[in-house]
Amino acid sequence: MKLLSSIKKELILASRGFYFYVELLFALVILAVLLFAIPQNFSHITTEYLYFNLPQQGKEIFINNILEDDPDAKSEMAEIEAGGKTFDAELIVTDESKIYIVDSEETVRILADSEKNLGAVIELNENNQLYYKYYLQGYESTRFKNLISILFNESTEVLEDRINNQEVRPLSTAYEPLTDRENTIPPLIAFSGGLMGMFIMASYIFLDKKEGVIEAYAVTPSSVWKYLMSKIFVILLTSAVSGLVIIMPVMGLRINYGLLLMLLLATGFFASTLGLLIASFYDNIMKAFGVIYLLFFILMVPCIAYFIPGWDPVWVKIIPTYPMLQGFKEIILSNGDIVYPLIASTGFLAAGIVLFFITNIRFKKTLSV
Amino acid sequence: MIKVEGLYHSYSKDDNFALKDVNFEVANGEIFGFLGPSGAGKSTTQGILVGLLQLQKGNVSVAGYDIKNISRKMFNKIGMSFEQSNVYSKMTAKENLSFYSRLFDVETRDPLELIDLVGLKGKENIKTEEFSKGMKHRLTFARSMINNPSMWFLDEPTTGLDPAIAADIKDIIKERNNKGVTVFLTTHNMYIADELCDRVAFIVDGEIKLIDSPKNLKLQYGEKLVEVEYAQNGDVKKECFSTIIQKDKDTLSKIIDDKEILTMHTKEATLEEIFIKVTGRGLI
Repeated sequence: MKLLSSIKKELILASRGFYFYVELLFALVILAVLLFAIPQNFSHITTEYLYFNLPQQGKEIFINNILEDDPDAKSEMAEIEAGGKTFDAELIVTDESKIYIVDSEETVRILADSEKNLGAVIELNENNQLYYKYYLQGYESTRFKNLISILFNESTEVLEDRINNQEVRPLSTAYEPLTDRENTIPPLIAFSGGLMGMFIMASYIFLDKKEGVIEAYAVTPSSVWKYLMSKIFVILLTSAVSGLVIIMPVMGLRINYGLLLMLLLATGFFASTLGLLIASFYDNIMKAFGVIYLLFFILMVPCIAYFIPGWDPVWVKIIPTYPMLQGFKEIILSNGDIVYPLIASTGFLAAGIVLFFITNIRFKKTLSV
Repeated sequence: MIKVEGLYHSYSKDDNFALKDVNFEVANGEIFGFLGPSGAGKSTTQGILVGLLQLQKGNVSVAGYDIKNISRKMFNKIGMSFEQSNVYSKMTAKENLSFYSRLFDVETRDPLELIDLVGLKGKENIKTEEFSKGMKHRLTFARSMINNPSMWFLDEPTTGLDPAIAADIKDIIKERNNKGVTVFLTTHNMYIADELCDRVAFIVDGEIKLIDSPKNLKLQYGEKLVEVEYAQNGDVKKECFSTIIQKDKDTLSKIIDDKEILTMHTKEATLEEIFIKVTGRGLI
């Protein structure tokens, strides 16, 4: 009865307050970004500028080779505006790149410099062997530079033959990768549901501290844990609603919503108890801002590992947002692992219970006149 | 009802005590005033008595409950009106009281009746963020009665209220006390203490300097004189007479019989004057 009464009170306060609508608005903004700003798949087409300083016959061999990758097997004439000048070029569009063939090395240099794209000159050296000169941007990795250095030690025919005969054995044929838009969902959900929940929970507590209502509650027979739990309930509700607002229009009915709700609630519970714990150490939000900001920064680090799979150190995996991201990803994958979100949910629930226990003790001790 | 023995408290948890060896008892049905200037230790004492501050050293029992092992059930018997009004600003007056009424295990009072009692009738459905400071204070005061407390803690209950409302609040306190409610009144307003309290304690720098009834204090520290203004041959005369010296008593009696008395006052000291005399400190 007391808990229900507290929850009802929190719902009234949330509906008349500011933060509840901030989180919902934030979810709608994220949804708009997902639907209208993030494409289904990002374009991976690169732009390259080539100059063949070769006899006409050699040039034609190269161009014909490139045209084999062009779906319509035709080149077209194009004009490139760069540095206040217009350059004529022959354009070949393949599945992976737009290749402009220009008429001088100087043009390649100017275009590579002004358009920040790869440029190359193919010519013959004094031994009448093919010689490749690249114009790079400076940020390319050593691995890439090494690759283009060794690429032409063998003839292109040999390389092509080896690539075509390379045996590729998929470990899981049922695996269907996410689109770029879908792949963006887990970090956004973790941020809006989890991290925002932590911040908003701390804000709710600081608002109560400012109004002094915690002290008024403390002189009633109702326990402190009921007060804290009623706040958590509101955060869980807003986390679940904002999470569904983001996911449903993008994923439709293709995912397991029971599993999603479980992880949303478990991560929301963990994040809100973290917010409670922070709030128990400070009088107002200004004093707590430094810690909240630092925590936000740390919790965002796994997003880097998420988008750059090659960077995945062990220490990142112990940051709570790492399993959060992986859990949400497994849920939205069409053949994702069900066990991972279940284990992650259990872990967040257990961690949340421990934090709640500590927070309850802290709040009992730190109530002051 | 309240028993405090050897109470010490230090916010810095060292020898810098905010309370030093505080001892007092409050009997059932008594109005006990805890008087002192700001920072004297009044709110700290009250905070410990209602469990808002942890008991560090000493023995304290309130309404039969030992504060060392505080039981939530104790709060069914306790009401607390805070100096700083603390109500939910986004909720109406009625919603505020209704919410708190559901937190108790005992029968509670009708929120509308309490709102009416403190002069807020017609404002029950207005959010308290639109209330004046005084209105919020009255609502905080009303909330402290929601559970019909037998032990009532009042922290500066009339601060910031206009005289008419303050008089109503004092009447409510008296009325509740007449029904047997014990009142622990924290204030620096000596006039309220004088009017309401059966006994008062003077506290300065965390130490109780004196405990007695206002009447005894006035008898002990006041000058035993009567000042009389009377009409004589068309003039107004003013004289002072001792209430102890027989000659003065006889003269005063004759004036009362023969003359038209305009004003007559005993020259008793105010509680504020006594406080300054006893503690050497003012009340602000």
